[in-house]
Amino acid sequence: MATVDVKNLRKRYDDFVALDGVSIAARSGELVTLLGPSGCGKSTTLRCLAGFLEPDGGEIELDGQSILATPSNRRGFGVVFQNYALFPHMTVAENIGYGLKLRKCSADEIKTRVHDVMSLVKLTGLEHRMPREISGGQQQRVALARALVLKPKLLLLDEPLANLDARLRDEVRWLIRDLQQQSGITAFYVTHDQSEAMAISDMVAVMKKGRVAQFASPREIYQKPVERYVADFTGEANFLSCRPLRALGEGRMRVRVGGAELDVECVPSLKPDDAAELLLRPESLALAGSGEAATFRGKIVKSAFLGASQHCEIALADGGVLKLTTPPNTPVRIGEDVGITVDRSHAWLMPEVAA
Amino acid sequence: MSGTATMFAHQRPVGLGFAVLIALLYVFLLVPLVTIVGASFTAGLLIEFPPRGFSLQWYREFFARRDLVDGLLLSLRIGAITAVVTTVVATMAALCGQVLSGRKSGWFQLGMTLPLLVPELLTAVGLLFFLFKIGLGKTVLGLQMGHILMSFPYAYVSITAALRQVPASLDEASASLGATQWQTFRMVILPLIMPGVVMGAIFAFINSFDLYTISLLLKPLGGNTLPLALFDFLTYEFKPTAAAAATISIVLSVIGVALVQKLVGLQRAF
Repeated sequence: MATVDVKNLRKRYDDFVALDGVSIAARSGELVTLLGPSGCGKSTTLRCLAGFLEPDGGEIELDGQSILATPSNRRGFGVVFQNYALFPHMTVAENIGYGLKLRKCSADEIKTRVHDVMSLVKLTGLEHRMPREISGGQQQRVALARALVLKPKLLLLDEPLANLDARLRDEVRWLIRDLQQQSGITAFYVTHDQSEAMAISDMVAVMKKGRVAQFASPREIYQKPVERYVADFTGEANFLSCRPLRALGEGRMRVRVGGAELDVECVPSLKPDDAAELLLRPESLALAGSGEAATFRGKIVKSAFLGASQHCEIALADGGVLKLTTPPNTPVRIGEDVGITVDRSHAWLMPEVAA
Repeated sequence: MSGTATMFAHQRPVGLGFAVLIALLYVFLLVPLVTIVGASFTAGLLIEFPPRGFSLQWYREFFARRDLVDGLLLSLRIGAITAVVTTVVATMAALCGQVLSGRKSGWFQLGMTLPLLVPELLTAVGLLFFLFKIGLGKTVLGLQMGHILMSFPYAYVSITAALRQVPASLDEASASLGATQWQTFRMVILPLIMPGVVMGAIFAFINSFDLYTISLLLKPLGGNTLPLALFDFLTYEFKPTAAAAATISIVLSVIGVALVQKLVGLQRAF
């Protein structure tokens, strides 16, 4: 059980600013994901947490105590790497027992604890295999077991699923989440995959060029992003540039867009006449049925049948394009004029770039 | 041999011309060895091939000659010490080269392999002056230092290559599990680079066993290594004793290679 406070972390390499004041906090038992494209500083942050890198400035506190002076081998954090980092000359059991051996545990204790953790990650029976003799998914579970057997104060995972194929990725992802929740270990998880981040996290920090663009729950990140960058990174999205007309009380705004006037929720700091973007996720849009009042009108320019659904792109009169999904059997013809209805509770107005 | 057959079974058929080329290459490499080994067993009085009859008299002669046996023993002793010292120092140097980054690493690499790039004679002359300056001129210790210097790059290159194969994340994983740097080295790094270390030791030994120029300049008074003793011997006599001595050297080298094969496997060593 541990709380972690990362405060204003800074790191630069020659001309490249890797971390430009990163602040993130994890409450006890939370899984916090650092999400962003490569080079955004997410791995650098994790490596500072692990003690593999020394930040130039800022502070990292564990339960209120600074850990910056503590070397990585005395931090007591478990680390899981993208390439598994198993010791290739040791068996699965020896890999998992490595940390216990360093702690001078008795042979019996090592055996029991290794056995227990192996059944936890469903690897029983593979004790005497070498890492190269087991699959990638199994290797990553060994890496997870090797970290968990020491009951770490903090679990750090650096793109643990990136080298696995799609099917295994799901399986190992749920395993990680289950184990993390069962043991109540605070965890930091680095990924560039938004769906992974959504599914697994209590909190997500979307990172952009060495800064945290937004730090919030997955729901908030997805539905109420602070800027276009965050919305773009967290899933399919339509953006319509527009100018807010006037404020309608706390966090609501009337906006003119695509030939219509809408009342929508917005980023609280947004003021009328700021350059703004209206975020409409594809699932909040639908083709209007006959007799239904449409918000926008446009022409179908593209459609694709995806099996469970259909994907459509619709060009609006003012030049904007909206992507939306329809049920698989809705008749869709290219060039057809259609109306679009908007679920206003899921429309969100935000600045193009957060201040 | 079935192992060899399956090993080649999956490879694409080798062109006839290529096969002939390889065969010629082997002939070129092996003919001198076969000739010298054959000549050492001659019953005649001259180094000749094919040998005249069969006898072990030249081996008896070799082991009866104090100067040659002393040379062999000195070479073996210096070679063994060179192998051990060079391997330890080269491992430390390779670890150091590993943590340097970018340009520094390039310069370090160059510095460590310098004895390979500078002509042996120049190194020998330089060392000669240096050793006299520090009072080790014409001593076994001075000669030993020269051999270590000349053999160092072979061990360094071999160990560095092995170290490059070890991903940095293993080091970090080990640290995150609570290991000190020494524990990580002993339990993770060293076992993984062992093939390179053993290779380095054997290279260093064979190289030391073979050194001529540097030994000639640095040799202690009254002490000859085997190559020096052999050369002295051949200056006055052209007897198959020299062939016997050469055969003994070849056997030692083969034992070295066989040891690598036995301990680490040649596949992993290269």
